[in-house]
Amino acid sequence: MSGRTDILGKLKNDRAGLAGFLIVSLFFLLALGVWLGWLGQGWSDAGGGRWEAPGAEHWFGTNVLGQDIFQRAVYSVRTAFEIGLVVALFSTLVGAVLGALAGWYSGSWVDGTVMWMKGVLDSIPFYLFVAAVAFALQGQPWAMHLAMIATFWTTTGRLVRAEVMKIKSMDYVRSARSIGLHDSLILARHVLPNTSHILLVQATIAFVAAIKTEVILSFLGLGVQDGVSWGLMLAESTQEVLAGHFANFVAASGMLFLLLIGFNLLADALQDALDPRQAAL
Amino acid sequence: MNGMADQMLLSVRNLTIEYPEAESPSGKLAAVRDVSLDIPRGGILALVGESGSGKTSLAHAILQLLPIASGRVLFQGRDLGGLDKAGMRAARRSIQAVFQDPLASLSPRRNIRQTLLEPLNHFKTGTKQDRVDRAANAIEAVGLEKELLDRYPHELSGGQRQRVGLARALVCGPSLVVADEPVSSLDVSMQAHIVELILELRERLGVAFLFVSHDLSVVRRLADRVAVMYAGQIVESGPASQIFKSPAHPYTRALLRAVPVADPGHAAPVVLEGEPSLPLTPPTGCVFHKRCAEALANCSSRQPVEQEITGIEPDPTEHRVKCHLWNP
Amino acid sequence: MSASPALSVRNLSVYVREDGMERSVVDGISFDLAAGEVLALVGESGCGKSKTAEAIMGLVSGAAGRVRADAIGLGDLDLAALGERGLQKIRGCEISMVFQEPLTALDPVFSNGYQLATQYRRHRGQSRKQSRDSAREMLRRVGFPDPDRIMRSYPHQLSGGMRQRLVIAMAMACKPRVLVADEPSTALDVTTQAQVLSQMIRMARDTGTAILLITHDLGVVAQYCDRALVMRRGQLVEDAAVTRLFSNPKHEYTSALVSAAREMRL
Repeated sequence: MSGRTDILGKLKNDRAGLAGFLIVSLFFLLALGVWLGWLGQGWSDAGGGRWEAPGAEHWFGTNVLGQDIFQRAVYSVRTAFEIGLVVALFSTLVGAVLGALAGWYSGSWVDGTVMWMKGVLDSIPFYLFVAAVAFALQGQPWAMHLAMIATFWTTTGRLVRAEVMKIKSMDYVRSARSIGLHDSLILARHVLPNTSHILLVQATIAFVAAIKTEVILSFLGLGVQDGVSWGLMLAESTQEVLAGHFANFVAASGMLFLLLIGFNLLADALQDALDPRQAAL
Repeated sequence: MNGMADQMLLSVRNLTIEYPEAESPSGKLAAVRDVSLDIPRGGILALVGESGSGKTSLAHAILQLLPIASGRVLFQGRDLGGLDKAGMRAARRSIQAVFQDPLASLSPRRNIRQTLLEPLNHFKTGTKQDRVDRAANAIEAVGLEKELLDRYPHELSGGQRQRVGLARALVCGPSLVVADEPVSSLDVSMQAHIVELILELRERLGVAFLFVSHDLSVVRRLADRVAVMYAGQIVESGPASQIFKSPAHPYTRALLRAVPVADPGHAAPVVLEGEPSLPLTPPTGCVFHKRCAEALANCSSRQPVEQEITGIEPDPTEHRVKCHLWNP
Repeated sequence: MSASPALSVRNLSVYVREDGMERSVVDGISFDLAAGEVLALVGESGCGKSKTAEAIMGLVSGAAGRVRADAIGLGDLDLAALGERGLQKIRGCEISMVFQEPLTALDPVFSNGYQLATQYRRHRGQSRKQSRDSAREMLRRVGFPDPDRIMRSYPHQLSGGMRQRLVIAMAMACKPRVLVADEPSTALDVTTQAQVLSQMIRMARDTGTAILLITHDLGVVAQYCDRALVMRRGQLVEDAAVTRLFSNPKHEYTSALVSAAREMRL
């Protein structure tokens, strides 16, 4: 695939993009380490005293329960990636399918229904909607994921719809129709592959948004139910900061900040590298 | 008339195409109105006219890409509107398309091999090996190297892409290729090559072409017959040699006189005044009367009837015109 | 032609960046354009003719590429030495440009009359009322029998040929010294092409504007131009009066082009 090597080549020439790629890779390795049971496994052990200062044994110190803040911050990388991946994957999938259907059958009742759903979802204040979903699905660990997927697909859907409407009138689609290919085959073979640049970029954006949202929701008590996340750590730190203990706050917000910077740099670079208008002649 | 239609590969009879969205107080608006034409086996008919004249709509209707409001399209004597599923499949296989923009007509993320195999797979032609062989033969038939099969459209030049477009149309062995402005986005030297190629393919494979174009110099080198469209109607049709030597309709004459000839000694192009009338809003009477320098009194009130003007023999060489000047 | 030329290009090169490498697309060309002359710049796609036009207009900058020239003289001015600020004052006034696709040169949200009248207000300091009168007069001169209807309507309501005539009217509003026209009729039908080109050239003759007409069509060169530059792979291979170009082409590339065009002749 010459297309793929082009993208890698372009990323190589983009220093900011490369930095983003390295940061994200580093975090991904951390998440992988947690999954494989090599890192952060002691996140819930109360092995130290209350609010110990950073040191050789507890790198970032301990929290109110004597748990190791470094281990908790590292374990939260896994939480963040899990939520990011699930939400990015499903919201992009839903957006791609609904957007493609709406675009292909633009003007019909299918388009009307999809666009009406998008309109309704976009008009509800997001945190109100999440609170409602969380309340309706009391205590379900995936309530937060569902709420995010239900709202995040709309942007992808709108972009894919517009792109499909453009592709629909291209001559290669006309050519496929003129030999009598079935609509579903044309969509799968000639239309959707040509929206992949939108999907990839939208998925990275959804990934970042999901991680950010998780932090806010967990902070508000609507998010992660069991386990630990940066949002929960920040919630804990609200009391500690007043008492002069900054370790929880700095560790959680610092790692969140670094990951978001990395992802934004990567998403920008991807957008440039995948934009067909930037392709050399 | 019907007897003649039987011998023809493609016969279009009194075809009207309406815009699906557009409606006026007086009813649906027509892109093409009451058009008839014939293409014999191995013939090349050029459909000429300005943008908006309805020539692309007509081509798309023949390719079954647009619905027909009234009239018939007969392919090998059979009405395409009345075919069953199997018959339709066979007809789609025998009528293939080439489009204007060679880049836009090739799926960007599929290589040339995939593009050429698609129609073969769809029509389940022969064994897998047969299909691969046919794709290779098709690419060679249009004068390209087999190595190009693994390339992607953006890696080819404009001329190569248009040859691939032709190869895709030919790969299933069609009897008619509908080509919509296939050379107008190419350089002059490349246009000449594609024109030569089309003539050679017609000679060798016996394929007929419906060639839609606004470029009269290309049409002159290529077509056996020419049909001139204005505002959704065919105003003149006849053998190419006669159309270019003695054009009968004032619009055809204006069209020919507007072409800048590549010779400084030649007479300067003559400007046809006024704006082209769209098929949407046909004037009463002759569609061309508002811009016609030779308009008579009744041109604005009465529609002219199609008129035979050579009258030598009633065969495809007939020369017909829709103009009051020929029917005083 | 003893009078000083309207446009004088000396040793103009254009480089574009591709995959981090710089490539020359125009390679040190020099030519003069006399006042009131219609000069064709002919060549096949990719020969560098459009980049030459963009470079003269000062439209090649930043990431797009780099221009080097000893001089691009427009009357007493040297465009090559002028900064972007200075160029902005000149563009659309002393030298203006017409593109292949007129729709991209028009703003869809403003009426045609407003867009044309703005030219007179901005560059010639006319009042609102004066500028509307000038616009109306100009539209009549580019062949619109009913200018008021055109003034009220918007670009998308016009046909391709009407749009191109509107763009030409805007480009000619200031009676520029030089009009650069990049394939202005390539997207148009033959009948519309004849209308647009003859109107454009008639207006230029009235105002003494010189035209640099970029085209790939030798028919257009033969019928509408006085002199022609033939361009190939970034270099000028021939510079000749049109009659001589067709009767006695000196360079073999030119004779190949001319004979190909003869073959395609009606």
